[in-house]
Amino acid sequence: MDRNQQRPRSSILDSLGEELIGILTPVSICMFTVVLLVCLLNSDPSSSSSFSSIATAAYSETDSDSPWDKLLGAFLNSLVFVAAITVATFLLVLLFYLRCVTFLKLYMGFSALVVLANLGGEISILLIDRFRFPIDSLTFSILLFNFSVVGVFAVFMSRFSILITQGYLVVIGVLVAYFFTMLPEWTTWVLLVALALYDLAAVLLPVGPLRLLVEMAISRDEDIPALVYEARPVIRDDSRLVQRRVWREQRSNVNDDDVENNVVRAEEEEEQRSEEISVPLIDSSSSSSRPETFLEGIGLGASGAIKLGLGDFIFYSVLVGRAAMYDLMTVYACYLAIIAGLGVTLMLLSVYQKALPALPVSIMLGVVFYFLARLFLEVFVVQCSSNLVMF
Amino acid sequence: MEEASRIDEPNRNPNTDRSSNPNPLSSIISSAHVWPTIDGPLGLTEEASVDYARRFYKFGFALLPWLWAVNCFYFWPVLRHSRAFPQIRNYVVRSAIGFSVFTSLLLAWALTFSIGGEQLFGPVWDKLVMYNVADRLGLSGLA
Repeated sequence: MDRNQQRPRSSILDSLGEELIGILTPVSICMFTVVLLVCLLNSDPSSSSSFSSIATAAYSETDSDSPWDKLLGAFLNSLVFVAAITVATFLLVLLFYLRCVTFLKLYMGFSALVVLANLGGEISILLIDRFRFPIDSLTFSILLFNFSVVGVFAVFMSRFSILITQGYLVVIGVLVAYFFTMLPEWTTWVLLVALALYDLAAVLLPVGPLRLLVEMAISRDEDIPALVYEARPVIRDDSRLVQRRVWREQRSNVNDDDVENNVVRAEEEEEQRSEEISVPLIDSSSSSSRPETFLEGIGLGASGAIKLGLGDFIFYSVLVGRAAMYDLMTVYACYLAIIAGLGVTLMLLSVYQKALPALPVSIMLGVVFYFLARLFLEVFVVQCSSNLVMF
Repeated sequence: MEEASRIDEPNRNPNTDRSSNPNPLSSIISSAHVWPTIDGPLGLTEEASVDYARRFYKFGFALLPWLWAVNCFYFWPVLRHSRAFPQIRNYVVRSAIGFSVFTSLLLAWALTFSIGGEQLFGPVWDKLVMYNVADRLGLSGLA
Protein backbone atom coordinates (compact mmCIF):
# COMPACT_ATOMS: atom_id res chain seq x y z
CA MET A 1 0.00 0.00 0.00
CA ASP A 2 1.29 3.43 -0.79
CA ARG A 3 0.95 4.68 2.72
CA ASN A 4 4.19 2.96 3.44
CA GLN A 5 6.17 5.68 1.73
CA GLN A 6 5.07 8.27 4.26
CA ARG A 7 6.70 6.47 7.15
CA PRO A 8 10.42 6.02 6.80
CA ARG A 9 11.34 3.67 9.59
CA SER A 10 8.42 2.21 11.46
CA SER A 11 6.89 -0.93 10.11
CA ILE A 12 3.53 -1.07 8.52
CA LEU A 13 2.22 -3.11 11.39
CA ASP A 14 2.65 -0.27 13.84
CA SER A 15 0.14 2.14 12.46
CA LEU A 16 -1.90 -0.18 10.31
CA GLY A 17 -2.32 -2.54 13.21
CA GLU A 18 -3.30 0.30 15.50
CA GLU A 19 -5.94 1.54 13.10
CA LEU A 20 -7.34 -1.92 12.61
CA ILE A 21 -7.43 -2.56 16.33
CA GLY A 22 -9.17 0.75 16.72
CA ILE A 23 -12.08 -0.51 14.71
CA LEU A 24 -11.99 -4.20 15.58
CA THR A 25 -12.09 -3.64 19.33
CA PRO A 26 -15.45 -1.88 19.51
CA VAL A 27 -16.98 -4.34 17.06
CA SER A 28 -15.77 -7.22 19.19
CA ILE A 29 -16.94 -5.59 22.40
CA CYS A 30 -20.37 -5.02 20.88
CA MET A 31 -20.65 -8.60 19.72
CA PHE A 32 -19.39 -9.99 23.00
CA THR A 33 -21.87 -7.92 25.01
CA VAL A 34 -24.79 -9.00 22.85
CA VAL A 35 -23.79 -12.66 23.18
CA LEU A 36 -23.51 -12.17 26.93
CA LEU A 37 -26.95 -10.59 27.11
CA VAL A 38 -28.46 -13.33 24.97
CA CYS A 39 -26.94 -16.04 27.13
CA LEU A 40 -28.02 -14.37 30.35
CA LEU A 41 -31.52 -13.42 29.36
CA ASN A 42 -32.34 -16.29 27.08
CA SER A 43 -35.83 -17.42 27.76
CA ASP A 44 -37.57 -20.25 25.97
CA PRO A 45 -38.00 -19.62 22.25
CA SER A 46 -41.75 -19.62 22.31
CA SER A 47 -41.88 -16.29 24.05
CA SER A 48 -40.13 -14.57 21.19
CA SER A 49 -43.14 -14.88 19.00
CA SER A 50 -44.82 -12.07 20.89
CA PHE A 51 -42.29 -9.54 19.75
CA SER A 52 -43.81 -7.27 17.18
CA SER A 53 -42.09 -4.64 15.18
CA ILE A 54 -42.02 -3.37 11.67
CA ALA A 55 -39.88 -6.33 10.74
CA THR A 56 -42.66 -8.73 11.57
CA ALA A 57 -45.47 -6.67 10.15
CA ALA A 58 -46.18 -8.90 7.22
CA TYR A 59 -45.97 -12.23 8.91
CA SER A 60 -45.38 -13.38 12.43
CA GLU A 61 -43.84 -16.75 12.75
CA THR A 62 -45.38 -19.46 14.83
CA ASP A 63 -43.91 -22.83 15.58
CA SER A 64 -46.57 -24.79 13.82
CA ASP A 65 -45.97 -23.50 10.32
CA SER A 66 -44.30 -25.58 7.68
CA PRO A 67 -40.78 -24.57 6.61
CA TRP A 68 -42.04 -23.31 3.28
CA ASP A 69 -44.55 -21.04 5.01
CA LYS A 70 -41.88 -19.74 7.32
CA LEU A 71 -39.56 -19.02 4.43
CA LEU A 72 -42.25 -17.21 2.52
CA GLY A 73 -43.21 -15.23 5.58
CA ALA A 74 -39.59 -14.33 6.21
CA PHE A 75 -39.25 -13.05 2.65
CA LEU A 76 -42.30 -10.89 3.04
CA ASN A 77 -41.04 -9.49 6.32
CA SER A 78 -37.66 -8.67 4.86
CA LEU A 79 -39.24 -7.04 1.85
CA VAL A 80 -41.32 -4.79 4.04
CA PHE A 81 -38.36 -3.91 6.21
CA VAL A 82 -36.00 -3.14 3.33
CA ALA A 83 -38.71 -1.07 1.66
CA ALA A 84 -39.17 0.90 4.87
CA ILE A 85 -35.45 1.48 5.12
CA THR A 86 -35.21 2.61 1.49
CA VAL A 87 -38.00 5.11 1.99
CA ALA A 88 -36.40 6.43 5.13
CA THR A 89 -33.00 6.70 3.47
CA PHE A 90 -34.42 8.68 0.60
CA LEU A 91 -36.14 10.90 3.12
CA LEU A 92 -32.80 11.46 4.79
CA VAL A 93 -31.23 12.32 1.44
CA LEU A 94 -34.03 14.79 0.77
CA LEU A 95 -33.66 16.45 4.14
CA PHE A 96 -29.92 16.67 3.73
CA TYR A 97 -30.38 18.15 0.29
CA LEU A 98 -32.68 20.79 1.72
CA ARG A 99 -30.06 21.53 4.35
CA CYS A 100 -32.24 20.71 7.33
CA VAL A 101 -29.16 19.79 9.27
CA THR A 102 -30.44 21.07 12.60
CA PHE A 103 -33.53 18.97 12.31
CA LEU A 104 -31.45 15.91 11.55
CA LYS A 105 -29.17 16.51 14.49
CA LEU A 106 -32.13 17.00 16.79
CA TYR A 107 -33.66 13.84 15.47
CA MET A 108 -30.42 11.99 16.05
CA GLY A 109 -30.29 13.17 19.64
CA PHE A 110 -33.91 12.26 20.16
CA SER A 111 -33.43 8.77 18.77
CA ALA A 112 -30.39 8.27 20.97
CA LEU A 113 -32.48 9.33 23.96
CA VAL A 114 -35.24 6.90 23.06
CA VAL A 115 -32.84 4.03 22.59
CA LEU A 116 -30.89 4.68 25.75
CA ALA A 117 -33.82 5.41 28.01
CA ASN A 118 -36.44 3.08 26.63
CA LEU A 119 -34.46 0.09 25.41
CA GLY A 120 -31.73 0.55 27.97
CA GLY A 121 -34.28 0.75 30.73
CA GLU A 122 -36.07 -2.34 29.56
CA ILE A 123 -32.92 -4.38 29.30
CA SER A 124 -31.77 -3.21 32.73
CA ILE A 125 -35.12 -4.21 34.17
CA LEU A 126 -34.80 -7.61 32.55
CA LEU A 127 -31.35 -8.00 34.07
CA ILE A 128 -32.54 -6.85 37.50
CA ASP A 129 -35.43 -9.24 37.28
CA ARG A 130 -33.21 -12.11 36.29
CA PHE A 131 -30.72 -11.58 39.11
CA ARG A 132 -33.24 -10.24 41.67
CA PHE A 133 -30.99 -7.30 42.35
CA PRO A 134 -32.43 -5.30 45.27
CA ILE A 135 -32.27 -1.85 43.79
CA ASP A 136 -35.04 0.59 44.48
CA SER A 137 -36.96 2.52 41.90
CA LEU A 138 -35.69 5.94 42.91
CA THR A 139 -32.02 5.03 42.50
CA PHE A 140 -32.78 3.19 39.31
CA SER A 141 -34.60 6.11 37.75
CA ILE A 142 -31.84 8.54 38.71
CA LEU A 143 -29.19 6.28 37.22
CA LEU A 144 -31.16 5.72 34.05
CA PHE A 145 -31.85 9.43 33.69
CA ASN A 146 -28.17 10.25 34.11
CA PHE A 147 -27.09 7.58 31.70
CA SER A 148 -29.49 8.64 28.95
CA VAL A 149 -28.99 12.38 29.23
CA VAL A 150 -25.20 12.16 29.16
CA GLY A 151 -25.55 9.76 26.23
CA VAL A 152 -27.58 12.34 24.35
CA PHE A 153 -24.90 14.90 25.08
CA ALA A 154 -22.23 12.56 23.83
CA VAL A 155 -24.05 11.87 20.59
CA PHE A 156 -25.43 15.31 19.99
CA MET A 157 -22.51 17.55 20.80
CA SER A 158 -19.86 17.59 18.19
CA ARG A 159 -16.91 18.01 20.49
CA PHE A 160 -16.92 15.65 23.35
CA SER A 161 -14.64 13.13 24.93
CA ILE A 162 -13.76 10.61 22.25
CA LEU A 163 -13.76 7.68 24.61
CA ILE A 164 -17.15 8.43 26.08
CA THR A 165 -18.74 9.06 22.70
CA GLN A 166 -17.36 5.79 21.40
CA GLY A 167 -18.58 3.99 24.51
CA TYR A 168 -22.07 5.35 24.15
CA LEU A 169 -22.24 4.48 20.47
CA VAL A 170 -21.24 0.91 21.28
CA VAL A 171 -23.90 0.80 24.00
CA ILE A 172 -26.55 2.05 21.58
CA GLY A 173 -25.44 -0.62 19.12
CA VAL A 174 -25.68 -3.30 21.78
CA LEU A 175 -29.16 -2.26 22.87
CA VAL A 176 -30.63 -2.13 19.39
CA ALA A 177 -28.91 -5.37 18.38
CA TYR A 178 -30.29 -7.17 21.39
CA PHE A 179 -33.77 -6.16 20.46
CA PHE A 180 -33.29 -7.29 16.91
CA THR A 181 -32.23 -10.73 18.09
CA MET A 182 -35.71 -11.18 19.42
CA LEU A 183 -37.15 -11.42 15.94
CA PRO A 184 -38.24 -14.86 14.79
CA GLU A 185 -35.44 -17.02 13.51
CA TRP A 186 -36.20 -17.39 9.83
CA THR A 187 -37.04 -13.71 9.57
CA THR A 188 -33.69 -12.79 11.11
CA TRP A 189 -31.62 -14.75 8.65
CA VAL A 190 -33.50 -13.69 5.56
CA LEU A 191 -33.49 -10.11 6.81
CA LEU A 192 -29.72 -10.12 7.27
CA VAL A 193 -29.14 -11.37 3.75
CA ALA A 194 -31.64 -8.87 2.36
CA LEU A 195 -29.95 -6.01 4.19
CA ALA A 196 -26.54 -7.08 2.91
CA LEU A 197 -27.86 -6.95 -0.64
CA TYR A 198 -29.56 -3.63 0.00
CA ASP A 199 -26.35 -2.17 1.40
CA LEU A 200 -24.46 -3.30 -1.67
CA ALA A 201 -27.02 -1.69 -3.93
CA ALA A 202 -27.41 1.52 -1.96
CA VAL A 203 -23.72 2.27 -1.79
CA LEU A 204 -22.42 1.15 -5.13
CA LEU A 205 -25.22 1.89 -7.55
CA PRO A 206 -25.21 5.43 -8.93
CA VAL A 207 -28.85 5.86 -7.96
CA GLY A 208 -28.34 4.44 -4.52
CA PRO A 209 -29.38 6.76 -1.69
CA LEU A 210 -26.20 6.33 0.25
CA ARG A 211 -24.04 7.22 -2.67
CA LEU A 212 -26.09 10.36 -3.23
CA LEU A 213 -25.71 11.22 0.43
CA VAL A 214 -21.97 10.75 0.39
CA GLU A 215 -21.53 12.78 -2.75
CA MET A 216 -23.59 15.61 -1.35
CA ALA A 217 -21.61 15.55 1.86
CA ILE A 218 -18.36 15.66 -0.03
CA SER A 219 -19.42 18.46 -2.33
CA ARG A 220 -20.53 20.58 0.59
CA ASP A 221 -17.70 19.54 2.86
CA GLU A 222 -20.04 18.70 5.67
CA ASP A 223 -20.45 15.77 7.94
CA ILE A 224 -23.53 13.69 7.63
CA PRO A 225 -25.49 14.11 10.85
CA ALA A 226 -25.98 10.50 11.81
CA LEU A 227 -24.74 7.91 14.22
CA VAL A 228 -21.33 6.86 12.99
CA TYR A 229 -18.54 5.35 14.98
CA GLU A 230 -15.25 7.03 14.31
CA ALA A 231 -12.10 5.39 15.51
CA ARG A 232 -9.60 7.57 17.25
CA PRO A 233 -7.21 9.01 14.67
CA VAL A 234 -3.82 7.46 14.88
CA ILE A 235 -1.01 9.85 15.62
CA ARG A 236 2.02 8.76 13.73
CA ASP A 237 5.13 8.51 15.79
CA ASP A 238 7.49 10.36 13.56
CA SER A 239 8.63 13.67 14.89
CA ARG A 240 5.73 15.64 13.61
CA LEU A 241 2.50 15.66 15.48
CA VAL A 242 -0.29 15.67 13.00
CA GLN A 243 -3.03 18.07 13.90
CA ARG A 244 -6.14 16.66 12.43
CA ARG A 245 -9.29 18.55 11.97
CA VAL A 246 -11.63 16.19 13.61
CA TRP A 247 -14.69 18.39 13.54
CA ARG A 248 -15.33 20.68 10.69
CA GLU A 249 -17.66 23.23 12.17
CA GLN A 250 -15.14 25.14 14.16
CA ARG A 251 -12.50 25.41 11.56
CA SER A 252 -12.23 29.16 11.70
CA ASN A 253 -11.50 29.77 15.34
CA VAL A 254 -10.31 26.51 16.71
CA ASN A 255 -7.70 25.22 14.37
CA ASP A 256 -5.85 28.44 14.06
CA ASP A 257 -4.98 28.62 17.72
CA ASP A 258 -2.85 26.28 19.74
CA VAL A 259 -0.79 25.12 16.87
CA GLU A 260 2.55 24.21 18.18
CA ASN A 261 5.70 24.83 16.27
CA ASN A 262 6.09 21.31 15.13
CA VAL A 263 2.50 20.71 14.16
CA VAL A 264 1.64 20.22 10.57
CA ARG A 265 -1.88 20.70 9.48
CA ALA A 266 -3.37 19.06 6.45
CA GLU A 267 -4.90 21.09 3.71
CA GLU A 268 -8.63 21.46 3.78
CA GLU A 269 -8.98 20.49 0.17
CA GLU A 270 -7.19 17.24 0.72
CA GLU A 271 -9.48 16.33 3.52
CA GLN A 272 -12.45 16.83 1.30
CA ARG A 273 -11.43 13.76 -0.55
CA SER A 274 -12.01 11.60 2.46
CA GLU A 275 -15.41 10.14 2.29
CA GLU A 276 -17.88 8.49 4.50
CA ILE A 277 -20.53 6.07 3.72
CA SER A 278 -23.83 5.96 5.38
CA VAL A 279 -26.90 3.82 5.09
CA PRO A 280 -29.59 4.91 7.44
CA LEU A 281 -31.23 1.99 9.02
CA ILE A 282 -34.69 2.32 10.37
CA ASP A 283 -35.54 0.52 13.51
CA SER A 284 -39.07 0.76 14.77
CA SER A 285 -39.25 -1.01 18.02
CA SER A 286 -42.54 -2.59 19.05
CA SER A 287 -45.48 -0.31 19.35
CA SER A 288 -43.85 2.97 18.52
CA SER A 289 -43.44 3.95 14.92
CA ARG A 290 -40.54 6.27 15.54
CA PRO A 291 -37.68 5.40 13.27
CA GLU A 292 -34.15 6.01 14.38
CA THR A 293 -31.33 6.87 12.13
CA PHE A 294 -28.32 4.65 12.10
CA LEU A 295 -25.70 4.31 9.49
CA GLU A 296 -24.11 1.35 7.90
CA GLY A 297 -21.08 1.23 5.81
CA ILE A 298 -17.47 2.06 6.17
CA GLY A 299 -15.43 4.96 5.02
CA LEU A 300 -12.73 7.41 5.91
CA GLY A 301 -13.52 10.28 8.15
CA ALA A 302 -12.39 13.82 7.87
CA SER A 303 -9.39 13.11 10.03
CA GLY A 304 -8.33 10.04 8.14
CA ALA A 305 -9.68 7.80 10.85
CA ILE A 306 -11.82 4.87 9.89
CA LYS A 307 -15.53 5.43 10.23
CA LEU A 308 -17.92 2.57 10.58
CA GLY A 309 -21.65 3.11 10.61
CA LEU A 310 -23.59 2.06 13.65
CA GLY A 311 -25.88 -0.12 11.54
CA ASP A 312 -22.90 -2.36 10.84
CA PHE A 313 -22.26 -2.82 14.54
CA ILE A 314 -25.91 -3.66 15.02
CA PHE A 315 -26.21 -6.25 12.29
CA TYR A 316 -22.96 -7.98 13.04
CA SER A 317 -24.12 -8.30 16.61
CA VAL A 318 -27.55 -9.51 15.55
CA LEU A 319 -25.92 -12.26 13.54
CA VAL A 320 -23.70 -13.33 16.38
CA GLY A 321 -26.52 -13.04 18.90
CA ARG A 322 -28.77 -15.23 16.83
CA ALA A 323 -25.89 -17.71 16.50
CA ALA A 324 -25.58 -17.64 20.29
CA MET A 325 -29.17 -18.74 20.58
CA TYR A 326 -28.20 -22.02 19.03
CA ASP A 327 -24.85 -22.86 20.52
CA LEU A 328 -21.53 -21.25 21.35
CA MET A 329 -19.74 -23.14 18.61
CA THR A 330 -21.67 -21.25 15.97
CA VAL A 331 -20.78 -18.06 17.82
CA TYR A 332 -17.07 -18.70 17.39
CA ALA A 333 -17.51 -19.59 13.73
CA CYS A 334 -19.61 -16.50 13.01
CA TYR A 335 -17.31 -14.21 14.97
CA LEU A 336 -14.29 -15.32 12.99
CA ALA A 337 -16.21 -15.00 9.74
CA ILE A 338 -17.35 -11.48 10.54
CA ILE A 339 -13.90 -10.32 11.59
CA ALA A 340 -12.45 -11.81 8.42
CA GLY A 341 -15.11 -10.04 6.38
CA LEU A 342 -14.36 -6.77 8.12
CA GLY A 343 -10.67 -7.22 7.40
CA VAL A 344 -11.41 -7.82 3.75
CA THR A 345 -13.61 -4.74 3.65
CA LEU A 346 -10.89 -2.61 5.23
CA MET A 347 -8.38 -3.84 2.71
CA LEU A 348 -10.75 -2.99 -0.10
CA LEU A 349 -11.22 0.40 1.49
CA SER A 350 -7.53 1.11 1.41
CA VAL A 351 -7.32 -0.05 -2.17
CA TYR A 352 -10.31 1.79 -3.55
CA GLN A 353 -10.19 4.83 -1.24
CA LYS A 354 -13.89 5.45 -1.45
CA ALA A 355 -16.91 4.66 0.62
CA LEU A 356 -17.73 1.01 0.73
CA PRO A 357 -20.56 -1.06 2.17
CA ALA A 358 -19.36 -2.93 5.21
CA LEU A 359 -22.26 -5.34 5.50
CA PRO A 360 -22.18 -7.61 2.44
CA VAL A 361 -18.90 -9.47 2.83
CA SER A 362 -19.18 -10.03 6.57
CA ILE A 363 -22.85 -10.96 6.56
CA MET A 364 -22.46 -13.40 3.69
CA LEU A 365 -19.48 -15.05 5.31
CA GLY A 366 -21.23 -15.07 8.66
CA VAL A 367 -24.40 -16.66 7.32
CA VAL A 368 -22.49 -19.26 5.33
CA PHE A 369 -20.35 -20.17 8.33
CA TYR A 370 -23.36 -20.34 10.61
CA PHE A 371 -25.14 -22.86 8.47
CA LEU A 372 -21.98 -24.85 7.82
CA ALA A 373 -21.21 -24.97 11.52
CA ARG A 374 -24.72 -25.83 12.49
CA LEU A 375 -25.31 -28.50 9.90
CA PHE A 376 -21.92 -30.10 9.50
CA LEU A 377 -19.42 -29.00 12.10
CA GLU A 378 -21.58 -29.78 15.07
CA VAL A 379 -22.22 -33.36 14.07
CA PHE A 380 -18.53 -33.87 13.48
CA VAL A 381 -17.42 -32.37 16.76
CA VAL A 382 -20.06 -34.19 18.78
CA GLN A 383 -19.08 -37.50 17.24
CA CYS A 384 -15.42 -36.83 17.88
CA SER A 385 -16.04 -35.83 21.49
CA SER A 386 -18.31 -38.71 22.28
CA ASN A 387 -15.78 -41.14 20.86
CA LEU A 388 -13.00 -39.38 22.79
CA VAL A 389 -11.05 -38.55 19.68
CA MET A 390 -11.04 -34.76 20.06
CA PHE A 391 -12.55 -32.41 22.58
CA MET B 1 -6.12 7.53 4.60
CA GLU B 2 -2.98 9.52 4.32
CA GLU B 3 -4.47 12.72 3.04
CA ALA B 4 -4.68 14.07 6.51
CA SER B 5 -1.05 13.48 7.26
CA ARG B 6 0.59 14.88 4.20
CA ILE B 7 2.79 17.90 4.65
CA ASP B 8 1.37 20.63 2.54
CA GLU B 9 3.71 23.46 3.18
CA PRO B 10 7.39 23.59 3.94
CA ASN B 11 6.82 26.13 6.65
CA ARG B 12 6.54 24.25 9.87
CA ASN B 13 4.61 26.95 11.59
CA PRO B 14 1.35 27.52 9.80
CA ASN B 15 0.28 29.69 12.67
CA THR B 16 2.07 32.70 11.30
CA ASP B 17 0.72 32.24 7.82
CA ARG B 18 -2.94 31.93 7.88
CA SER B 19 -4.22 32.24 11.35
CA SER B 20 -5.92 35.35 12.51
CA ASN B 21 -5.15 34.79 16.10
CA PRO B 22 -6.85 37.45 18.14
CA ASN B 23 -5.55 36.25 21.44
CA PRO B 24 -1.78 35.92 21.53
CA LEU B 25 -1.79 35.16 25.23
CA SER B 26 -3.72 31.95 24.77
CA SER B 27 -1.34 30.74 22.12
CA ILE B 28 1.56 31.30 24.45
CA ILE B 29 -0.15 29.37 27.21
CA SER B 30 -1.28 26.60 24.95
CA SER B 31 2.06 26.18 23.29
CA ALA B 32 3.27 24.84 26.59
CA HIS B 33 2.36 21.35 25.35
CA VAL B 34 -0.36 20.83 27.91
CA TRP B 35 -3.80 20.35 26.53
CA PRO B 36 -6.75 20.90 28.81
CA THR B 37 -8.68 17.84 27.73
CA ILE B 38 -7.89 14.20 28.04
CA ASP B 39 -7.91 13.81 24.29
CA GLY B 40 -4.86 15.97 23.98
CA PRO B 41 -4.41 17.59 20.61
CA LEU B 42 -7.62 16.05 19.34
CA GLY B 43 -9.67 17.72 21.99
CA LEU B 44 -10.73 21.25 22.72
CA THR B 45 -8.71 24.38 22.84
CA GLU B 46 -8.49 26.35 25.98
CA GLU B 47 -11.13 28.97 25.26
CA ALA B 48 -13.66 26.40 24.22
CA SER B 49 -12.75 24.34 27.27
CA VAL B 50 -13.79 27.06 29.66
CA ASP B 51 -17.13 27.28 27.95
CA TYR B 52 -17.62 23.53 28.04
CA ALA B 53 -16.54 23.17 31.65
CA ARG B 54 -18.92 25.88 32.72
CA ARG B 55 -21.81 24.38 30.77
CA PHE B 56 -21.22 20.90 32.14
CA TYR B 57 -21.00 22.26 35.64
CA LYS B 58 -24.26 24.16 35.32
CA PHE B 59 -26.14 21.30 33.67
CA GLY B 60 -24.99 18.92 36.35
CA PHE B 61 -27.29 20.59 38.81
CA ALA B 62 -30.25 19.00 37.07
CA LEU B 63 -29.66 15.81 39.06
CA LEU B 64 -26.85 14.74 36.77
CA PRO B 65 -23.85 13.68 38.86
CA TRP B 66 -22.66 11.51 36.00
CA LEU B 67 -22.25 14.68 33.96
CA TRP B 68 -20.03 16.07 36.69
CA ALA B 69 -18.00 12.88 36.65
CA VAL B 70 -17.66 13.11 32.87
CA ASN B 71 -16.55 16.70 33.31
CA CYS B 72 -13.78 15.64 35.67
CA PHE B 73 -12.77 12.79 33.40
CA TYR B 74 -12.67 14.93 30.31
CA PHE B 75 -10.60 17.65 31.91
CA TRP B 76 -8.36 15.33 33.83
CA PRO B 77 -5.13 17.13 32.80
CA VAL B 78 -6.54 20.25 34.42
CA LEU B 79 -6.74 18.44 37.72
CA ARG B 80 -3.32 16.97 37.36
CA HIS B 81 -1.43 20.12 36.50
CA SER B 82 -2.63 22.37 39.25
CA ARG B 83 -0.91 25.49 37.94
CA ALA B 84 -2.33 25.75 34.50
CA PHE B 85 -5.84 26.69 33.39
CA PRO B 86 -7.16 28.49 36.47
CA GLN B 87 -10.58 29.17 35.05
CA ILE B 88 -11.25 25.62 33.96
CA ARG B 89 -9.87 24.28 37.19
CA ASN B 90 -12.45 26.25 39.12
CA TYR B 91 -15.36 24.51 37.44
CA VAL B 92 -13.77 21.09 37.35
CA VAL B 93 -12.98 21.07 41.03
CA ARG B 94 -16.47 22.17 41.88
CA SER B 95 -17.84 19.41 39.63
CA ALA B 96 -15.68 16.88 41.42
CA ILE B 97 -16.95 18.03 44.79
CA GLY B 98 -20.53 17.94 43.59
CA PHE B 99 -20.09 14.47 42.18
CA SER B 100 -18.61 13.11 45.40
CA VAL B 101 -21.33 14.61 47.56
CA PHE B 102 -24.16 13.40 45.35
CA THR B 103 -22.68 9.95 44.93
CA SER B 104 -22.13 9.47 48.62
CA LEU B 105 -25.72 10.45 49.35
CA LEU B 106 -27.08 8.19 46.62
CA LEU B 107 -24.87 5.31 47.66
CA ALA B 108 -25.90 5.69 51.28
CA TRP B 109 -29.54 5.54 50.34
CA ALA B 110 -29.10 2.62 47.93
CA LEU B 111 -27.04 0.57 50.36
CA THR B 112 -29.47 1.21 53.18
CA PHE B 113 -32.26 0.08 50.95
CA SER B 114 -30.64 -3.08 49.69
CA ILE B 115 -28.98 -4.19 52.91
CA GLY B 116 -31.76 -3.11 55.22
CA GLY B 117 -34.39 -4.87 53.24
CA GLU B 118 -37.68 -5.73 54.72
CA GLN B 119 -36.48 -5.70 58.29
CA LEU B 120 -35.78 -2.02 58.17
CA PHE B 121 -38.54 -0.80 55.95
CA GLY B 122 -41.39 -3.18 56.44
CA PRO B 123 -43.93 -3.65 53.68
CA VAL B 124 -42.82 -0.44 51.95
CA TRP B 125 -39.73 -2.27 50.72
CA ASP B 126 -41.78 -4.45 48.46
CA LYS B 127 -43.48 -1.44 47.03
CA LEU B 128 -40.25 0.37 46.27
CA VAL B 129 -38.00 -2.35 44.93
CA MET B 130 -37.48 -2.17 41.22
CA TYR B 131 -38.54 -5.57 40.02
CA ASN B 132 -41.90 -5.26 41.71
CA VAL B 133 -42.42 -1.77 40.38
CA ALA B 134 -41.59 -3.03 36.90
CA ASP B 135 -44.04 -5.88 37.25
CA ARG B 136 -46.73 -3.54 38.45
CA LEU B 137 -46.24 -1.08 35.65
CA GLY B 138 -45.76 -3.80 33.06
CA LEU B 139 -42.30 -2.57 32.13
CA SER B 140 -40.58 -5.91 32.16
CA GLY B 141 -42.33 -7.17 29.08
CA LEU B 142 -40.38 -7.14 25.87
CA ALA B 143 -42.69 -5.46 23.44
